[in-house]
Amino acid sequence: MNQDVLLRVEDLKVYFPIHRGVFRTVVGHVQAVDGVSFTIRRGETLGLVGESGCGKTTTGRAILKFNRPISGKIYFDDQELVGLSESRFRPFRRRIQMIFQDPYASLNPRMTVKETVGEPLMIYRLSRGVNLRKEVQGYLELVGLSPQYVDRYPHEFSGGQRQRIGIARALALRPDLIVCDEPISALDVSIQAQVVNLLKELQKELHLTYLFIAHDLSMVRHISDRVAVMYLGTIVELASSQDLYAQPMHPYTQALMSAVPIPDPKIELQRNRTILTGDVPSADNPPSGCHFRTRCPLATEICATVKPRLNEVSAEHYTACYMISKGG
Amino acid sequence: MLTYIIRRLLLLPIILTSVTILIFAMMSLLTPYERASLYVSDIPKQSGALEGIIEKYGLDDPAPVQYWYWLVGRTDPETGEIKGGVLRGNLGWSKTGKGDVAEVIGRRLPATIELALWAGIPMIAIGVWLGVLSAIHHNRLIDQLLRVFSIVGYSIPVFVFGLLVLLIFYARLDWFPPGRLSDWAAQIVQSNNFTSYTRMYTVDALLNGRLDIFWDAFIHLVLPVITLAYLNWAYLLRVTRSSMLDILRQDYMTTARAKGLIENVVIRRHALPNALIPVVTVGALTLIGLLNGVVITETVFNYPGMGSFLSEAALSLDVVSVLGFTLFASFILVAGNLFVDVLYGAIDPRIRLE
Repeated sequence: MNQDVLLRVEDLKVYFPIHRGVFRTVVGHVQAVDGVSFTIRRGETLGLVGESGCGKTTTGRAILKFNRPISGKIYFDDQELVGLSESRFRPFRRRIQMIFQDPYASLNPRMTVKETVGEPLMIYRLSRGVNLRKEVQGYLELVGLSPQYVDRYPHEFSGGQRQRIGIARALALRPDLIVCDEPISALDVSIQAQVVNLLKELQKELHLTYLFIAHDLSMVRHISDRVAVMYLGTIVELASSQDLYAQPMHPYTQALMSAVPIPDPKIELQRNRTILTGDVPSADNPPSGCHFRTRCPLATEICATVKPRLNEVSAEHYTACYMISKGG
Repeated sequence: MLTYIIRRLLLLPIILTSVTILIFAMMSLLTPYERASLYVSDIPKQSGALEGIIEKYGLDDPAPVQYWYWLVGRTDPETGEIKGGVLRGNLGWSKTGKGDVAEVIGRRLPATIELALWAGIPMIAIGVWLGVLSAIHHNRLIDQLLRVFSIVGYSIPVFVFGLLVLLIFYARLDWFPPGRLSDWAAQIVQSNNFTSYTRMYTVDALLNGRLDIFWDAFIHLVLPVITLAYLNWAYLLRVTRSSMLDILRQDYMTTARAKGLIENVVIRRHALPNALIPVVTVGALTLIGLLNGVVITETVFNYPGMGSFLSEAALSLDVVSVLGFTLFASFILVAGNLFVDVLYGAIDPRIRLE
């Protein structure tokens, strides 16, 4: 298989049971992730966008084994992860790290920076004592924080600083892949760009691979090499960042793009906007066939039959839509 | 920190004054005759005795005047000597305890402390342990069983549960007697070849090397300890459980797991220290409550501590004793709350006392 590929996800499905009634019997499933496939190459950033509830975070968490998929395969460095027991998986924990959405909730309030960042180093016996302190200070500098901060507690920092601590913590294990779960959406706009730029610099320096989960389309464009668009548990379009933004093909992607405001009133007034009507259907009972068909302006009968698969419509540009694969 | 403690201590006189004024206000609902009758035995034979006492102690003075006398003392019209006066360190004479109020409290306190420690330590340890267990196995069988157990615990009134265990373990099985010591042990304890270091019999017995007395004191403690521990750890269990569940949902639990820590370490190092912050408050305050004496439990088990002293004094309208006890209890409560707040600041880095 391709040496370049670090992570390959194949037809991943994560369902959550719904319990009801006195005896809490299972009455259905929330189909949070319903057949997602993608690959991430070494050193690249794959952006994963979609509205809240579309399953992007669940996908990210499944890679770290925080959710148990009901089917599908996850290959990391050619090793299948899905079937592994927690103890067999532990070596991979070091290599796959996560940066969390909420920098206020993701740091243990009773641990100093040194303890939070240094704990994994102690666990894996990578460092201890004076060395540990120095190493933690090194990571703080790496993420742009003063090394004097090692003995401070999380509540003494601002949101952006906390997120930097979260990044330092993830870096401390020298991971290959970092799942960034909306790392900037809880931050002030002025801080967002700083953190994204920091992530980009670190990627260059340390040869990191990112799965960057977000709903902010312009930030994703800025950091990602390729972008996957998710809707109701499935990927509807996957292309290089340039392609996707220049030529969105799937009607859902087009609608998303046209929702991004352009900071120029003249262009903003002139452009054709695709406006979606209705709500996202419930994930415990998604529409048959293409999940998007209930809101799609192009939908026909065929869309209700079988779920469309991702097709390569032009080089490296995949989309899951009958109307587009037909029309070319 | 120091200014915080001083500021809190400045509140103490205000609280003590308010509490004692409140007791005095309630006392003024009693007639002077009702109060004087405590000190006269066989009233019909001693005509004029009640009036004499009322006159001598000024029991028919207005309540504020009496409060003033209680505070600063009263000059004896015959000898010119100043008697009583809380501010002069004299809490008055307790008819109930047959001694100076301060001395009676000093005599009763060790029994209550002994009971509080024996009940408090297992209460906190088991309550917290079961609470953690309950939270980790959220909504599974063990959690459901513990839920029933704890709801029963805090719905049963003390006197029902106390009488029930007394009925079974004393009346039926005769395993654990009420009281504090058996007669033979009490004789040894009061004799000259037994040194009273702390007046807590279990501790003193060990210090004197008398295992038989330790055992006797211990089996007398079993029933009140079980009663207090069960009824209180039910509450602690619920507090620990909900606090633990709250913490287990936090993102930093996921962070800890992402570090590759095993589940045990995640619970012990990341969940517990955070979950125990509210538990410390509840646990310490419960323990302080126990130190003030537990009226019903001590009465049910005929245990001679602070609680039974208060109930005896109140029932015989011994106002002086009740006031003395109230002063002491308020002091412990204020000091205890202050201690908990300071402790809180020490264990939670986010809290700084100013």
